Amino acid sequence: MSGTKPDILWAPHQVDRFVVCDSELSLYHVESTVNSELKAGSLRLSEDSAATLLSINSDTPYMKCVAWYLNYDPECLLAVGQANGRVVLTSLGQDHNSKFKDLIGKEFVPKHARQCNTLAWNPLDSNWLAAGLDKHRADFSVLIWDICSKYTPDIVPMEKVRLSAGETETTLLVTKPLYELGQNDACLSLCWLPRDQKLLLAGMHRNLAIFDLRNTSQKMFVNTKAVQGVTVDPYFHDRVASFYEGQVAIWDLRKFEKPVLTLTEQPKPLTKVAWCPTRTGLLATLIRDSNIIRLYDMQHTPTPIGDETEPTIIERSVQPCDNYIASFAWHPTSQNRMIVVTPNRTMSDFTVFERISLAWSPITSLMWACGRHLYECAEEENDNSLEKDIATKMRLRALSRYGLDTEQVWRNHILAGNEDPQLKSLWYTLHFMKQYTEDMDQKSPGNKGSLVYAGIKSIVKSSLGMVESSRHNWSGLDKQTDIQNLNEERILALQLCGWIKKGSDVDVGPFLNSLVQEGEWERAAAVALFNLDIRRAIQILNEGASSEKGDLNLNVVAMALSGYTDEKNSLWREMCSTLRLQLNNPYLCVMFAFLTSETGSYDGVLYENKVAVRDRVAFACKFLSDTQLNRYIEKLTNEMKEAGNLEGILLTGLTKDGVDLMESYVDRTGDVQTASYCMLQGSPLDVLKDERVQYWIENYRNLLDAWRFWHKRAEFDIHRSKLDPSSKPLAQVFVSCNFCGKSISYSCSTVPHQGRGFSQYGVSGSPTKSKVTSCPGCRKPLPRCALCLINMGTPVSSCPGGSKSDEKVDLSKDKKLAQFNNWFTWCHNCRHGGHAGHMLSWFRDHAECPVSACTCKCMQLDTTGNLVPAETVQP
Amino acid sequence: LGRTRAAQRGSPSCRRELCCDGDWHCTASWKTHSGSMWRVTWAHPEFGQVLASCSFDRTAAVWEEIVGESNDKLRGQSHWVKRTTLVDSRTSVTNVKFAPKHMGLMLATCSADGLVRIYEAPDVMNLSQWSLQHEISCKLSCSCISWNPSSSRAHSPMIAVGSDDSSPNAMAKVQIFEYNENTRKYAKAETLMTVTDPVHDIAFAPNLGRSFHILAIATKDVRIFTLKPVRKELTSSGGPTKFEIHIVAQFDNHNSQVWRVSWNITGTVLASSGDDGCCTGILKGNGSPVSGSSQQGNSNPSLGSTTLSLQNSLNGSSASRKHS
Repeated sequence: MSGTKPDILWAPHQVDRFVVCDSELSLYHVESTVNSELKAGSLRLSEDSAATLLSINSDTPYMKCVAWYLNYDPECLLAVGQANGRVVLTSLGQDHNSKFKDLIGKEFVPKHARQCNTLAWNPLDSNWLAAGLDKHRADFSVLIWDICSKYTPDIVPMEKVRLSAGETETTLLVTKPLYELGQNDACLSLCWLPRDQKLLLAGMHRNLAIFDLRNTSQKMFVNTKAVQGVTVDPYFHDRVASFYEGQVAIWDLRKFEKPVLTLTEQPKPLTKVAWCPTRTGLLATLIRDSNIIRLYDMQHTPTPIGDETEPTIIERSVQPCDNYIASFAWHPTSQNRMIVVTPNRTMSDFTVFERISLAWSPITSLMWACGRHLYECAEEENDNSLEKDIATKMRLRALSRYGLDTEQVWRNHILAGNEDPQLKSLWYTLHFMKQYTEDMDQKSPGNKGSLVYAGIKSIVKSSLGMVESSRHNWSGLDKQTDIQNLNEERILALQLCGWIKKGSDVDVGPFLNSLVQEGEWERAAAVALFNLDIRRAIQILNEGASSEKGDLNLNVVAMALSGYTDEKNSLWREMCSTLRLQLNNPYLCVMFAFLTSETGSYDGVLYENKVAVRDRVAFACKFLSDTQLNRYIEKLTNEMKEAGNLEGILLTGLTKDGVDLMESYVDRTGDVQTASYCMLQGSPLDVLKDERVQYWIENYRNLLDAWRFWHKRAEFDIHRSKLDPSSKPLAQVFVSCNFCGKSISYSCSTVPHQGRGFSQYGVSGSPTKSKVTSCPGCRKPLPRCALCLINMGTPVSSCPGGSKSDEKVDLSKDKKLAQFNNWFTWCHNCRHGGHAGHMLSWFRDHAECPVSACTCKCMQLDTTGNLVPAETVQP
Repeated sequence: LGRTRAAQRGSPSCRRELCCDGDWHCTASWKTHSGSMWRVTWAHPEFGQVLASCSFDRTAAVWEEIVGESNDKLRGQSHWVKRTTLVDSRTSVTNVKFAPKHMGLMLATCSADGLVRIYEAPDVMNLSQWSLQHEISCKLSCSCISWNPSSSRAHSPMIAVGSDDSSPNAMAKVQIFEYNENTRKYAKAETLMTVTDPVHDIAFAPNLGRSFHILAIATKDVRIFTLKPVRKELTSSGGPTKFEIHIVAQFDNHNSQVWRVSWNITGTVLASSGDDGCCTGILKGNGSPVSGSSQQGNSNPSLGSTTLSLQNSLNGSSASRKHS
């Protein structure tokens, strides 16, 4: 340990302490700072840990190497190897236990002074300390000391001690080592082999040697240059690493002749190599002047089938800090934790992460495996900043029966959570389309109905060149404005926009009232104004200002509005056209844009993107000529398609254009749920035949299945087959007679009965009232139920076999599904079966088939049969 | 008894399977391979409870859960049977993936010798018979594969292969192969030229009816590409589909190698893990991150509870449940 390069050591037992040593020893205490603030005087090690200096020991100068006593007691006992070859025991603990007091300060002195290179405590016999020294003529270089041996002052003259140690205190000197090894050689590194407490591996000058203390005359050795930093894998006791310059050699002690493996050479000499104590086969290496710790993952023991397979090594590197690293130390117990120290004694505490494998569950919880633990991370309820992911949204919407309200179609947006204006617009559009299609069909069963679903774009196109404009008076003002005469198509468009209600009446009154009721004052005022009723607009604004939630500024706006003048160069006009841009509410903004606009140019209204599409379109229908209108609608449609804005469905309807629009919506959001339900509404049209639509529907069904919303999926299928009869699945299972081979359901379907919904699945031996107990083809009786032994086709008795009372309750609870109890069911494996109700109750208590001597475990064969749909466990 | 299952990649050659009944417990644990196992994957439940694993010992194996052979006392205990061992590879099998279910029971493996093998079980009731259907040579040591999950008829079967070859010559590390109906072979459709660093994981997002595919790549950072098929009418028919490829996001928040990426069910949230722990990024449906491509908040706790850094949970954070 030269003074410039600190080393670092974790305490072997007190897991929150470590020592940094350069010219002195400093003991630190590590604390977690997760829940507390950084204390004054402590050093930050990482984001959530800090170190406090506990004590400094500068009693031992010329330190060359340090080793921590491995026993639990006494704590903080360290052996320090000095430049003169002496080994000193020193302590950093504050409380000096009397029992061990005499250990502290003990010195172990070699015969000849030379540098001590390495120290190693015996892991089994905790009193044995091995020291590796430089070469001195023919002297021994490996000395093993017993720290409990009595000191022998008589051998070493007292004055010599004084000279070297420079101490006047009673120094406890030991000069007689337990063993002396490695004569005429130098020792660079040492480690005890865990196989036996008397085996010591030493990196000598030019070889690696294993000394056996039971027979010190013999040693096993192999010539190599890689003699530095020998260290044994704590999980695989025959595996040893050592290094030389930039190269690490891995040895197998059972095959000691040559290294089993050498790791790729580093450009600079290595300074430290250490196995991870908490994980198998992980070796950390550090090279000089570098800020990177390189890790080698050697998990793979050579496979028995492979003859010469080299273990593959995963090489990784971590960069714990920006400065060069002087030394590092693995934490003895915390998983893969490490502390590093830089030459200027800044320290950093970090964890080397494993390759973490992770997976999402369908219900947005994330699992990952790290080390020996498996973590599950669930989404928290109180999502403050994060907008909910579409997966969560769709799941919640599926639970709230979103999309299934076919009567009050607009209500679906409320089921969706009433938070997305685009969804609101979409469902209102679909609602109006449905309503007016029915209306049309009643009036004239022609082909007009499909026109409604084709959207305003097609509606407007169909009326090209038939409309003339006429001048209309403003109510309450002496002014006239050109308004297009409303033909049938334009009325229909306005109806779809929601401005006017069903019937021939073109009054916007009811619409205004409903807007006022919902508190949309600005919008209502704008609509009133666009219908040339400035008085009503002002009145609405006043109403809004006086209401509870309303904005008092609306009064100011009303005031400004009432000052309207038609004069082209008036101050009012000038001010309004400049100040309107500062209004926050788009509807207030377009009101003034409309009033200040030149006749026939309404771009300020038409291209105000914040105004709902339906209002802009309705405005356009009222004020634009046919060619203008067409151009405008065309442009707006393309804009909506590009953006995937659902408001645009009003324009495109459920046509190919609409599918294009929906496609970019799905691309943008992934919301196949809305896409599926929306397109199903247009069922009589061709859109459902579009491949993309079918694909969305299929994807949505898969999603429901993945969430285990099987009932929801069934509901969706029913909903789908109502709207799109072609989607009914073909019968997949038939019950046919054993004798004549004819389908039993053949006869059933001729009998008019109530179970229409079931017959689509082909298993229609269900009708209880028809009482088919024999094959309709050949009149042979149907097979008997394995439990009640009555021919199939007869109604099931309420309590078969057992007389348990709870079963009775069970069956009566399921009364709604009573028909299902009469169904045929059978095991595909043993072919035994009977009434579905009987079978279900049998397997509730039994694992084996009810037919005697049949050991088939019918129910367990189907692993998914035990699963429960997720809806039932949902809140 | 609501069950969700997770297979855990075990310590060398042992695998545990956990089963969730509100809480997780181990339902089966058995010895599988003689080398360490790289990956496990579930088949679609339509095919039963089937797992596939691949290992350093040059093999891949298919496992099926058997119930019913145990006696009544051990009811609920499951029992896994090795149905087949796929021994074609001469080197370590690095990844195994079941094909999307509409393709039938198919399995792709990739190995360090640069070959992707596609197997099919012609009879889904007999999991012990697998025939090697295709062998695709990638010329680079493969580390990961991903099937395109799209079941749309407009998209032919597609598989993306990533390589962790660390040789210095800069070659594209991600290749995409597409099945050609006419030749009945897989042919290279695209190579992502911009990815030249070793790739550790690759994942197609669930398609969910989008008109394009999203591919996440774990290399020294996380990258997300979109592949939009150019309409067939515009290209000469018969040839491989052409794609417009855009990189939509690149996250270097890990500041280190990224090992795994995983999409949520809708392909809108991506979780990734790297040497620094675990984090998730929130992405909009079109693959673009919520707040610009240089999103800093990836590991920022304020983004939401799903963005837990692993460090926190190691120390027992309240939001995550810990199981050992």
